[in-house]
Amino acid sequence: MVIANEFDYRRPATLAEATDLLANHSGSVRVLAGGTDLVAWLRDDAIAPDLVVDIKNVPGLHDLKMNGDTLHLGALVTFTDLIESDVVKERAPLLAEMAETVASQGIRNRATMVGNICSAVPSCDAGPVLLVYDTTVHLTGPDGDRSVDINDWFIGLRQTARTEDEVVTHLTIALRQHGGVYVKLMRYGGEDLAQAAVGIIAYPDHEYRVAFGAVAPTPIRSIRIEDALRGKPLDDALVAEAAAMVRDEISPITDIRASAEYRVRMTEVMLKRGLVAVTERLAGTGPAYGTRLI
Amino acid sequence: MTTDYPFEAKPESGELKTVGTSAVRIDGLDKVSGAAEFVDDMDFGPGLLHAAIVESPHAYARIVSIDTSKAEAAKGVVRIATGKDFPYKFGMYMEDRYIFAQDYVRFVGEQVAGVIARSHREAVQAAKLIEVEYEVLTPLLDPKSAVADGAELIHPDLEDYTHVPWFFPQTDTNIAHLRKIRKGDTEKAFAEADYVLEDTYEVPRYAHCAIEPHVTVSKFDQADRLTVWTASQSPHTQRHLFAEALAPLGLTHKDVRVITPYVGGGFGGKAGVSMEIMGAAMATLVKGRPVKLRWTREQEFYNTYQRQGVVAELKVGVMNDGTITAVEHKLYWDAGAYVEYGANVVNAAGLSATGPYRVPNITNDSLCIYTNLPPGGPYRGFGYSEFHFGLESHMDRIAEAIGMDAVEFRRKNAIVEGDELAYGASMNPSGMLEAIDKTAAAIDWGVEEESDNPNTVIGKGIALFWKAPAMPPNSSSASFLKFNEDGSINISVSGMELGQGYLTVMAQIAGEVLSVPVEKIRVETPDTDRNPYEWQTVASHVTWSSGLAVEKAAIEARGKIFDVIHQVYGYEDDSLYLEDEAVKCRTDESFSKPLRDFVIDGIQTEDGTWRGGPIVASGKFMPEFTNANSDPETGQGGHPNVHYTVGATGVVLEIDKDTGRIWVRKAALAVDAGRAINPDLVNGQITGGLVQGLATVLYEDMRFDENGKLLNPNFTDYKIPTAFDIPDEIIPIIVEVPQPDGPFGARGVGEHTMIGAAPVIANAVYNALGVRIKSMPITQEKVAMAIIEKSET
Amino acid sequence: MNLTIKVNGEDWALDVAPADVLLDVLRERIGVKSPKIGCERGDCGSCTVIMDGRTVRSCLILAVEADGHEITTVEGISYDGMSELQTLFIQNNSFQCGFCAPGIVLSATELLDNNPNPTRHDVQEALAGNLCRCTGYEPIIDAVLAAGEGGSE
Ligand code: FES
Ligand code: FES
Repeated sequence: MVIANEFDYRRPATLAEATDLLANHSGSVRVLAGGTDLVAWLRDDAIAPDLVVDIKNVPGLHDLKMNGDTLHLGALVTFTDLIESDVVKERAPLLAEMAETVASQGIRNRATMVGNICSAVPSCDAGPVLLVYDTTVHLTGPDGDRSVDINDWFIGLRQTARTEDEVVTHLTIALRQHGGVYVKLMRYGGEDLAQAAVGIIAYPDHEYRVAFGAVAPTPIRSIRIEDALRGKPLDDALVAEAAAMVRDEISPITDIRASAEYRVRMTEVMLKRGLVAVTERLAGTGPAYGTRLI
Repeated sequence: MTTDYPFEAKPESGELKTVGTSAVRIDGLDKVSGAAEFVDDMDFGPGLLHAAIVESPHAYARIVSIDTSKAEAAKGVVRIATGKDFPYKFGMYMEDRYIFAQDYVRFVGEQVAGVIARSHREAVQAAKLIEVEYEVLTPLLDPKSAVADGAELIHPDLEDYTHVPWFFPQTDTNIAHLRKIRKGDTEKAFAEADYVLEDTYEVPRYAHCAIEPHVTVSKFDQADRLTVWTASQSPHTQRHLFAEALAPLGLTHKDVRVITPYVGGGFGGKAGVSMEIMGAAMATLVKGRPVKLRWTREQEFYNTYQRQGVVAELKVGVMNDGTITAVEHKLYWDAGAYVEYGANVVNAAGLSATGPYRVPNITNDSLCIYTNLPPGGPYRGFGYSEFHFGLESHMDRIAEAIGMDAVEFRRKNAIVEGDELAYGASMNPSGMLEAIDKTAAAIDWGVEEESDNPNTVIGKGIALFWKAPAMPPNSSSASFLKFNEDGSINISVSGMELGQGYLTVMAQIAGEVLSVPVEKIRVETPDTDRNPYEWQTVASHVTWSSGLAVEKAAIEARGKIFDVIHQVYGYEDDSLYLEDEAVKCRTDESFSKPLRDFVIDGIQTEDGTWRGGPIVASGKFMPEFTNANSDPETGQGGHPNVHYTVGATGVVLEIDKDTGRIWVRKAALAVDAGRAINPDLVNGQITGGLVQGLATVLYEDMRFDENGKLLNPNFTDYKIPTAFDIPDEIIPIIVEVPQPDGPFGARGVGEHTMIGAAPVIANAVYNALGVRIKSMPITQEKVAMAIIEKSET
Repeated sequence: MNLTIKVNGEDWALDVAPADVLLDVLRERIGVKSPKIGCERGDCGSCTVIMDGRTVRSCLILAVEADGHEITTVEGISYDGMSELQTLFIQNNSFQCGFCAPGIVLSATELLDNNPNPTRHDVQEALAGNLCRCTGYEPIIDAVLAAGEGGSE
């Protein structure tokens, strides 16, 4: 539908100008990056902001680089950037594996990963992956800069720790040797929102990170499953034990995309297959990144 | 290819040069270059106005009041329309709809009012200001409850509705039409059968999802002419329905002109008249101003025709040797709030619900049931896709129960030329057995395959299909043909190029008769002022029917060409023939007169005068052997269908035992095209139809909430296939047993290619897992949960 | 608001509202009609255009966001005749109704620009966001693969 509501649009040239606009405006405001969610919501009348602040001209937000062993991902880094980045390919191929499952080429060329976790829908693909990477979210606002642990980021359905007058500038991820996997359940082979998703990282010495998407109001991490796996070599029994914990760790709903029971069952399957794959990937074997496990 | 086909258009050499070749589409360049113009691409200048529609949020309600005052005062608003402006009924086969709702709304999304404004945004903004007060009533949302005793009547005045004579509304019920077939003695046959299987199958509603939404621009000018540019499969039928519905405004057929440029897919969804009537009517309120009404994708889902859902109760009796002796098929159609077109889907299915089998004893009841869901209507397959799901699932189950191979069982019972049809007429020539054998061979039927992946299993399935065009007995086609100075040709017809390749096929037919290459023939999209009549582009009938009209025009033109030659050179007409764009003579090998030399300017004779002149011709076709006068109680006595097209579908699929995910590894589809005028285009129908059909069984379906609101009116949650969702391999198989009355033996194939897709998956899933799923769609979730249930019980 | 934009090599300066979407401005103000309106929510790919060398959904971009950027559509790539890819699409009877064709031509063009020798999977991935209801994709994929092989010779 045509965008029925009218609004003001500003495209600040600096971060300071952006935060100033966000802090000093009347009515509601929205930050625009890739716009693939925002414009769709405007069209649906799901939101009716008075002001839209487009941050795409703000310098520095496109950076995708390593600082020592820390991966720096600017707020305007798109999913295509992740897929095409050599840095990502070498140091964090899990990000590319996740990015490849997001929507379609024409969307990925525009949609940003930061936008994905700011929209914070339960099925957001970046959520589980950034959770298992122990990501730090960096924001700036009227009170200056601050950072938020990704574990404290998602606070409710489509709600995050960001306040309306803050801008996310970048994410940082401290990298060390790991294997990763993102398994996404979809209704068919083509583009789809996750019916359920599992992100896992394996570190040396049987250390794991496990997170789920689309099976709770927000992407969630499972510390209990991580604890159960810690320090033990992965075998069939341990995989089964972890899978058996899934039902109590997630709280899926039944909706048009899947039933709650199917989500539970498939999350178990994805966790099982994911654990095997991620352990192999850590060892340098296992299926190539990008291979669909389900 | 050399043939002994009996057609008048036979070329001199006996070999077809154009028909039967995979000519490049004549609209290919238009479409790939961006030149192709669709309705929404046309420019109408600064006077163009935009319309937005106010819709009912309730599935069933009485309209208490409509307050348009705030909207009238809104910026940019030119005019508001409500039901009061147009208290007129319309309908294709049964007049049960109004242009805008009058006293009642009967589905969520029904049009209550319209706003015409200077810009689209202003129209949408103003529409939100219209206040409608409703008295909400309890909706009937499924066909079984709508036919239960004491059900509220959705259309209490049903008995007063105007309808075609072959419909039988049941007064004081919600049954708008009941098609009955009674043949032989079913009860006795069941009693004597060695094995009887009875079960119920359920099929939900589906959406066409042409990528181009419905759009229409209408202009009622100062001279009281109504011109409608529209994305439609049915320009002449639309003109007719506009003229009839708006007759109270003084409009007659000659005052209405419908222009249809390229259309971005139809699949039945753009047949008849749906939203276009609102645009046409609203335009009459703002004389001289064109008004554009374009459906959003959401409206496309909930306020055009939908494919009807059906609950099918099926009982089949067989003897131990595999002979089918009786079929009882009760089809309860969820036809929606208005059935003006959809009732004919019900009718067509009722006539043919035995499937492509020889059955001596038949009881078919096909019930068209009003519900408070959006109107049902035509959709590729026209009722056949729906009932084949249960029927072809059932056939597999019976074969297994009596210990017979599923292919062998079908071969034994498959209907062949001369067998008696359910309504008493006899079956046309068909290549059913060849289709079965080739399909079975293509998927290595009978050879069990093991997966090398421990998580997956492999299954195979087969299903037959048939379908006849469902048309009024007198639906007809016409064509005009004219030559140009360079020997090129323009053809005017009113069938629509929906993508199937109609324009190219018409060019091939004319080109074959006149020895002119396809590249030199232009076939235009319709304008009802200029192009001759065509009933509609539906029912997979235009290759056949319009093709015959074009063939006749070409033959007439050829006669006129020969006449000129005869006048000037004296050769007898029957010694002349056309070859390579020239007239040649059997009795004088040296004679050759290129068409371009005379088809406009004629030929100069020795005395300096001229003979001939522009070659123009016309052709028409009406199936003069059909009639719909059958007995309402038995369905016997008429000849409602012109012919059936038959075929078979087979698949090899792989299923993940943990997740239920299904990959179609191989799909074969054989269809009897009679004659493939353009094999590449037939293959296009096979591939496209098969993929569309597979989607209906694997993941598509419309979901409604308990208040009758559609939950997935978008591609985010109504998934249609992407480039990833196609079989790894598709094997198209064209069978050619000529249709004696078809152009070069051709019959239609457009719808048929999706009909077998649903049951073939059901059968292959059973073959792989031993799980029989009796409701569509067979989603990966349904498969996974069925596996879990099986393993845990 | 002022919008300065280059479309198919031509410079345009227009006054647009912030709520105007790029797709509508291209079609109604600039007269470029090959990007089509299919779903208006990013699902179908009919509105695909190339923006600064990459395909985007013009239905999900505010016109003002395109200020200072360069847009290419099928009209733009067809000025000098059909590309090899387009020719193969025509010869292969790849499209039926053709409504999806402009978007698919552009998505496939982007793919071949970045990856002259795509695999079948690459082609499927590149086209997965362009819905086609008519063809079953097979004849489209075949033509793109053929264009890829041609490019490598
Ligand atoms: S119209 Fe833009 S993706 Fe469908
Ligand atoms: S050819 Fe019709 S949508 Fe693709």
